[in-house]
Amino acid sequence: MSAIPLEWLEEFEAAARRPLKQRMRYAFVRTYKPVLDDVRFRSFDSMEEYRRWCESNLPDWLGYGRV
Amino acid sequence: MAAFDYRQAEEIRDVFQRHGARYLFLGKSGAILLGYPDTTQDAHLFIERSKSNCEALYHALVELGFRFTGDEAEEVKRGKDFIQLKNGPFDLDLVFAPDGIERFGDAWERHVEVEGFPVCHIDDIIASKQAANRAKDRESLPRLKSFCEYWLQTRNRE
Repeated sequence: MSAIPLEWLEEFEAAARRPLKQRMRYAFVRTYKPVLDDVRFRSFDSMEEYRRWCESNLPDWLGYGRV
Repeated sequence: MAAFDYRQAEEIRDVFQRHGARYLFLGKSGAILLGYPDTTQDAHLFIERSKSNCEALYHALVELGFRFTGDEAEEVKRGKDFIQLKNGPFDLDLVFAPDGIERFGDAWERHVEVEGFPVCHIDDIIASKQAANRAKDRESLPRLKSFCEYWLQTRNRE
């Protein structure tokens, strides 16, 4: 595993020692995402349509725009 | 609304199983189930798009507490490519045609079970993020690829 940076390897090994329930408690967080969280239901006919919607409507800093 | 948690994942697993809805955890939520240490906000499910499966999915979601208008219900039953739900006990993204994965059946062949949770193989999770090519995916991919290497090696030792 020499290609894996040591810091990441230690994190992976530490996570592997934790039960799934605990890993999930650490992993899932809740913060408000502007626009994205403002409606209760949203649907798209294609992923392309969804990606374009994200790029046109969401703030750049959310990171949903394609590179 | 509180963050998604283990108990809610169990509810998805148990209710979807009862209704016979076929799905896979995908995206970072899937990687987290495989052991990837990172943070995310929502659960992403890759759903098999067949008429019977979409019908089963709809009834499972209603049992979980999601509420739909008539039009919304039809869109779920039709299996639109991407549906974001914030109309229930937790947020859920339903993906019927994820970037980078050709067919549900292919992903199902490769999938992994973690405590009864059906999860996309790490290679499919990475392929999907690579194909999506969003800024946030680009940021997370190097670490996710390292995790893939770690996961495959530890899995082969078991």
